[in-house]
Amino acid sequence: MPEGSEPLLEVHDLVVRYGAATALDGVDLAVGRAEMVALVGPNGAGKTTLLDTVSGLVAPAAGRIELRGRLAQVPEGRRLFPEMTVEDNLRLGAWRVRDRRVGPVYELFPHLVELRRRKAGSLSCGEQQMVAVGRALMGQPDLLAVDELSLGLAPQIVDTLAEHLQDLNRRSGMAILLVEQNARLALDICSRAYVIEAGRIALSGPSEQLRSSPEVQAAYLGGAYEE
Amino acid sequence: MTLFLQYLAAGIASGSTFALVATGFVVIYRVTGVINFAQGVFAVLGGFLAYSLLHAGVAHGLAEGVAVLITAAIGLVVGLVALGRRGTPPLASLIVTLGLAIFSYAVVITVWGDLPISYDGLSGLLAIGGVSMQRQYVLIVGAAVVTFLALALFFGRTYLGMALTACSSDQRAARLMGIDVWRMGLLAFAVGGALGGLAGVLLTPLQPVQFDSDVGIAVNGFAAAIFGGLVRPVTAFAGGLVLGVAEAMVAGYYRSSYETAIALAVMLALMLWQASRRGPTEE
Amino acid sequence: MIGPRAPSRRALVVAVLAAATLALPPVLPPEWQSLYVFIGLYAIVTCGLSLLMGFAGQVSLGQAAFYAIGAYAAAIPAVHGAPPALGLLTGPVVAAAIAAAIGVPLLRLRGHYLAFGTLAFQLIVLTFIAEAGDLTGGDIGLRGIPPLGLGSLQAVTPVQYAYVTWLAVTAVFLVTRNVVRSRPGRALRALATSESAAAAAGVPVAAYKVEVFALSAGYAGLAGAIYAFFLSYIAPGSFPILLSIQFLVMAAVGGLGAVWGSLVGAAVVTLVVQLLQEIGSLPAMPTQVPAVLSYAVYALVLIVVMLLLPSGIVPALTARAARRRRDDVAPTEATAGDDARASRLSSVL
Repeated sequence: MPEGSEPLLEVHDLVVRYGAATALDGVDLAVGRAEMVALVGPNGAGKTTLLDTVSGLVAPAAGRIELRGRLAQVPEGRRLFPEMTVEDNLRLGAWRVRDRRVGPVYELFPHLVELRRRKAGSLSCGEQQMVAVGRALMGQPDLLAVDELSLGLAPQIVDTLAEHLQDLNRRSGMAILLVEQNARLALDICSRAYVIEAGRIALSGPSEQLRSSPEVQAAYLGGAYEE
Repeated sequence: MTLFLQYLAAGIASGSTFALVATGFVVIYRVTGVINFAQGVFAVLGGFLAYSLLHAGVAHGLAEGVAVLITAAIGLVVGLVALGRRGTPPLASLIVTLGLAIFSYAVVITVWGDLPISYDGLSGLLAIGGVSMQRQYVLIVGAAVVTFLALALFFGRTYLGMALTACSSDQRAARLMGIDVWRMGLLAFAVGGALGGLAGVLLTPLQPVQFDSDVGIAVNGFAAAIFGGLVRPVTAFAGGLVLGVAEAMVAGYYRSSYETAIALAVMLALMLWQASRRGPTEE
Repeated sequence: MIGPRAPSRRALVVAVLAAATLALPPVLPPEWQSLYVFIGLYAIVTCGLSLLMGFAGQVSLGQAAFYAIGAYAAAIPAVHGAPPALGLLTGPVVAAAIAAAIGVPLLRLRGHYLAFGTLAFQLIVLTFIAEAGDLTGGDIGLRGIPPLGLGSLQAVTPVQYAYVTWLAVTAVFLVTRNVVRSRPGRALRALATSESAAAAAGVPVAAYKVEVFALSAGYAGLAGAIYAFFLSYIAPGSFPILLSIQFLVMAAVGGLGAVWGSLVGAAVVTLVVQLLQEIGSLPAMPTQVPAVLSYAVYALVLIVVMLLLPSGIVPALTARAARRRRDDVAPTEATAGDDARASRLSSVL
């Protein structure tokens, strides 16, 4: 994290339990302003639980969350409202804020303009992911949390979306927390990363450093990482 | 033939009130997952409230309108109790709504007594294409259709309505947008209360209501709602009309004591036929 | 506490309960004796409903229909001169047979659809009873049902009916316990959790569902039969939809899937209703007070119990007992299972 700036999101010693099962066990994490941070780890490690807790959907058993700004989440599986139009989906993203103009999203994803009257459920997965990102952006977040951007999408589409995210980050200074099973992608576009395993942060540091760590290479990058 | 058309008109009129009650079931179930067995109570209270307001000298139209607004508020209170603490399971909520229905008996008996009441609706007959029918029928059907269209606009076009639709479509996604699903559930209960109240104020001139008339109204409304799987308002509305017409035909051509049983048997047969066509019906 | 602590202790509890059950009827004041009969009858019906909902995961909003069928199937032959005791056989058998016959198509429906189907079935049955006047006495009802008996042995007083009823309760509980513990019973538990998983494991799902439905109807039929002889008069009005709802309430208040829950649920609800009627009919009360008071308080009890103990009284107590024990002994498989089942089942509807 850049020195001196107050982090946008700080998570301290977070514990989350579902009944008797402990989903998160003392997690520490921070995202600075205008930072792009990756959270990688295997299925069931607690990535989505962490996002849901930060989003206020799940109550923590212990720990502290400080969020100095607005957060919007692009949920895993996109979860659009399938029987509503693209535009209505986008407008609902602005529930928390006053401004419901969808223009900026269309500027970002011009392809959505011609789809605006279509039912969201009838779109391709890639188009749905654009709507899902756009819907989250409508909430004018300071921090955009994206849960499994790449899941079920063709590589080209993933690349396009990833570029869009990097663009957003560079141009408007929006912080991005990218939760990914695809560690290679995440480490490529984020400057810093956390590795979560079984509800605990196993490793963290700059992406460069993690990329060259033998554990990460063996577990997430399928052997030696080729530059 | 004229007789048939008269039965048809009567059936569509009573079916329209079932359709309103059914729509209330659907709105509440879609947003909250609760089958609100107090749905018939709203109709009973709507009838009694309009009765009192009319007796207090309030003009027709205004009295019914105020009664519907009050039942909407009552719907809100029912929702507040039935939804309970966050995370109350639907079966518990369902039984709580039953409890509230029974509680309403105590309220109605205390305030109005245990005798049936009624009041005059639109009087006179209207002749359409050689068929004469009560003006009240036309009012009921008109009010139901207008209400249904208004609801469709509300849920499809207004921002608040879309948020309600979002809650019924995907609660998790709705919560991520910052929509308070619990509050939306209360709103759904208020809408359900208004729909039930409207059915009540329209129905009371045709058939007197008493404190426990809610069971019959709720059973008919539930039957119509279940026709659309409790989630499809249009099918529920159609279900209400089918039920109303079936009952009117049985009562007209056969015996009125069989009307509910045969209409329900028809609904049941249709449902079983659907289930056998596309495998066991899953909600 | 109702949860099993140790087998010997459990046996002791059951023995004390049994002794109390036997000793109670003669010492109760007269008006409580018939109440005692009703608690037993309702416990029988609720036990079947609890089995159906808790173990087979199916809902019935028309259980009073089988109670009515049992009552008429027992009373009609008796009125025509058959030995009344035969009614204890015809009541449950006819109810179970009708349930088996309608169960085949009806149980293709699930969840809310089944709830509606059973509700509709009851209204259809009530209409049929009211219209088939030659057979059933129609709306006016069937009068002059002879007392239960075989030869010179006759049950006339409430105390005698109390013994008949609680004998039936015992039989029903024993049957239920054996069903629950049998191989099909374990398969049924799987059914309540996931029907498709049970089907995949080779459980004949459709057949088991119909069998449990028929068994629960048989219980209701048996209770209905005793009811008919006890009151010697039945009419369609004795079996309203509200009675079905009351059975559902008893099952939910006691706790679904817990055999003892049906007894607790039936007792609590019946006693509350009775107590309210007693208070309401005290001489000083104005005329409308009994109805108002009993509706209001009954409703409030229902609401408060369901909001505070959504899975029912018995599962809540067993869970508490299990928690208290957790330090010294691990919870027994049975209580842990009951607990999990109860919470799952709260989503049956």
